[in-house]
Amino acid sequence: MKQVMEGSHAVSEAVRLARVQVISAYPITPQTHIVESLSEFYAEGSMDARFLCVESEHSALAALIGASSCGVRTFTATSSHGLALMHELLHWTAAARLPIVMAEVNRALGPGWNIWTDQTDSLSQRDTGWIQLYCEDGQEVLDTIFQAFRLAEMVNLPAMVVMDAFYLSHTYEPVDVPDQKRVDRFLPPIEPRIELDVENPCALSQLSPPTMFMELRHNIQIAMEHVPRCFKLVEDEFAALFNRRYGQMEPVHCDDAEIIMVVTGTAASTCREVISDLRSGGEKVGLLKIKMFRPFPKELIRKFLAPAQKVAVVDRNFSFGTSGIFAQEIKASLCNLDAHPFVFSYIAGLGGRDVTVDLLKEIYWKTKENLTPTDESIWMGLREID
Amino acid sequence: MPKQQKSFMEVPLFIPRSKVSTEINKTGSWRFVSPMFEEKTAPCSAACPAGEDIGRIEMLTAQGLFKRAWEAILMENPFPSVCGRICFHPCENFCNRKEFDESIALHSLERFLGDIAIAEGLNQPLKNLPANGKKIAIAGAGPAGLSAAFFLTRLGYSCTIFEEKSEPGGILRWGIPSYRLPDDILKSEIKRILDSGVEIRCNTPVTKSFMEKEIGYYDAFFIGSGHSISIKMDVYGEDAASDGLKFLYNIRKGEITSINCTAAVIGGGNTAIDVSRSLIRLGANVILMYRRRRQDMPAFANEVEMALKEGVQLMELVSPIGLEKDGKNLLLTLQKMKIADTLSGGRPQVVPDSTKTETLRVGKIFAAVGAGPDKLWQIPCEDKDDNKILRLSHCIISIEKYPKIFAGDLTNHTKSAVDAIASGKQAAMALDILFNEGRDSIKERLSSCKVGDGPALSMEIYMNGKRKSRNSRIVYLKDINTDYFMPALRIIPLSLSPELCIKSFSQVEQTLTTDSAMKEASRCFNCGLCNNCDNCRLFCPEMAVISEDNNRRINFDYCKGCGICVVECPRSAMALKEE
Repeated sequence: MKQVMEGSHAVSEAVRLARVQVISAYPITPQTHIVESLSEFYAEGSMDARFLCVESEHSALAALIGASSCGVRTFTATSSHGLALMHELLHWTAAARLPIVMAEVNRALGPGWNIWTDQTDSLSQRDTGWIQLYCEDGQEVLDTIFQAFRLAEMVNLPAMVVMDAFYLSHTYEPVDVPDQKRVDRFLPPIEPRIELDVENPCALSQLSPPTMFMELRHNIQIAMEHVPRCFKLVEDEFAALFNRRYGQMEPVHCDDAEIIMVVTGTAASTCREVISDLRSGGEKVGLLKIKMFRPFPKELIRKFLAPAQKVAVVDRNFSFGTSGIFAQEIKASLCNLDAHPFVFSYIAGLGGRDVTVDLLKEIYWKTKENLTPTDESIWMGLREID
Repeated sequence: MPKQQKSFMEVPLFIPRSKVSTEINKTGSWRFVSPMFEEKTAPCSAACPAGEDIGRIEMLTAQGLFKRAWEAILMENPFPSVCGRICFHPCENFCNRKEFDESIALHSLERFLGDIAIAEGLNQPLKNLPANGKKIAIAGAGPAGLSAAFFLTRLGYSCTIFEEKSEPGGILRWGIPSYRLPDDILKSEIKRILDSGVEIRCNTPVTKSFMEKEIGYYDAFFIGSGHSISIKMDVYGEDAASDGLKFLYNIRKGEITSINCTAAVIGGGNTAIDVSRSLIRLGANVILMYRRRRQDMPAFANEVEMALKEGVQLMELVSPIGLEKDGKNLLLTLQKMKIADTLSGGRPQVVPDSTKTETLRVGKIFAAVGAGPDKLWQIPCEDKDDNKILRLSHCIISIEKYPKIFAGDLTNHTKSAVDAIASGKQAAMALDILFNEGRDSIKERLSSCKVGDGPALSMEIYMNGKRKSRNSRIVYLKDINTDYFMPALRIIPLSLSPELCIKSFSQVEQTLTTDSAMKEASRCFNCGLCNNCDNCRLFCPEMAVISEDNNRRINFDYCKGCGICVVECPRSAMALKEE
């Protein structure tokens, strides 16, 4: 049934429908509405789950590591500093191969103290072994929660469902909320491959000497390599039931495009309008919206981007000392091709600054006018400071 | 619901997982500090002159084990119902919970347990030691004498109490008004003491000749005759004033039923308050006159507060000069006083405030400026401290041909019922040590029975009970892990409004109900005591706390000395010691 709901509540509703068994989270703006409504579901009894109150994000994830080791479906949500505080346990979750799902609301890290959207928080965690799925709107975020559980439980890796602060988390949109029966068909109860059992005791995560360690790490990578295939299977089943599909990435008018703009999150919606405007003016421009960042779908990147002449990557994040993070990853994916397009790196919308239609158009024209990209990223719309 | 397709399970899962027991890793070898179970002393129990094991009493009460809780009181004090009503409960002032939210209503709980035992007609359940053939004579059946008899009987002595009045109880029977302590309650508790094997002879005043004749039959003589003689005010016309103590006695005898006039009560001690509150109930308009200020009164503060609530008017800083008859009335002349010195620590000195005097016309004047012992009893004077005299915190032993031991108000600094009970217990222990080990052992042996660092003594410790293993170190709030306790308001027992109180001698407070008693007792931190919460075992990362039938021990093969158990013990019943 279609309902007008806040992006945060689309997450909570999905978590309830996913029949999550253990939830632990610590409130932080802009994530609070997610855990707040979940605590209400728990309190009113509309969710058959345990809700663990903790004193920090570190403990929230630690508690879920314990719960998930017992083979139950678990969920947490956080943002920004909260995610940073979880860092140690993000590594632990993946290495312990626990299929925990997290909603992560992109917010800048301070100082300057800032509660608005910025992807640097989640992208800083790219090496922890979590699957990362970026969402564009309320519907996608609701659907992706279901998919994330299926996917995580298939490959035994944790999954992060990432969404922009406020533009998505606090925006009310129509969302088609499926009924419980159909969700149950798509997402049956977890069949855990890791499950502590007092009748059959074992120790998990114990000391692993150099002779074993590399194999453990390599095994995580093998599981990561299975993700694209598994995600396709998940999406096929999802589409059959719900008639919606997102893909690891979504190309828009990429087939004949000379310049392709690469965007993520809510900026993709703005960019759709830009592309349509420019196309009607005769510009051969395409849009590639990236949903899956980990594992990074290199093959598809090459497939969609290689034919173009130029690629303009719009990063709402920055890795100090190099460039925008998506641009980095895209360059790395393309560099071994015999011929590949020039990759232009643009930085826009940090700390919640608007990424407007005009700004994206400016990026397009800049890309078109310049023959080759600069070494350093171009920071868009910088104000003059004394 | 459909099962997930097995084809997905091809994803490899290689994780560190071991079936080998970690027992091979004896983590105890890492340890340099060791935890231990070490029960300590609750501050309330050390503050209780009778040294009651309050933390344990409340633990048992919270669990609904009322009979065992009551027995734990009897171990140290034969008067739970009495003390639950009239004790000034210093325990509550020292309650750690007081700094957290509000102290536990310990007096209400003590009364609850005592009243349950009376309602169920329980007999004295504690076993007496086998009779040792020694006989003790006790002068006075007040709280000190009855307590001494109770504890001496427990220790195997044969006791005979000689009481001047027609019934036992002393101040409890004749001095304390029935709105504070009803007859039936007192009688039940005294009967239980007598039933445990104490002989009593009422209407038998101990005179000098009686003593000379009788003393040869006994191995020791306990004198707990109290302060029964009122002190004179030493002013002109004094004979026109009534004696406060005698007035209370006459009320208890049923000889006074109403007084309809303005009455002046002179004094600031508990007797003055009892007289004032009784007068209010008899219909009088009461003015209480004290030479110092309210905060300097030796009367217990809560009693003073009740008196004022009930309508007693207080005149501070006035001292009587004299009184004279004026027809049916009395003229009372008062000297105004002022504070001369407040530096000396104790109560301030007062001096006349120039020549300011005041004369009041009142119907009656009651003197309650203090009481002293009957002349018969020659307490060894302060300066006489040869090796025949042994001075203890609550009694004095004179070891002549026959040991004589003075106790109760005669020797107590604080003239309270519970201090009298404590002195009876101390005397019983001291005599037992004197007979068994000799005079020189008394102080040291008593010291080993201390509850905490004050004078309170424990009979349970003396008789080698479980309490002996406690560390006498007192637990303070900083030792309590308050994360485990939620704030909860103290339960206040139902009580009559002051307007209703003054209409009769009915009890002001009611006994707690079972539910509210358990609820109130469960607020108790049980400072320093293990209540089997099992936190130590649950939190131990090495599973090195072994629990068998609620007895816990530490497996030092695996205890690595992290101290988590000690920190997570909510009530400081564990300690960490360096190895």
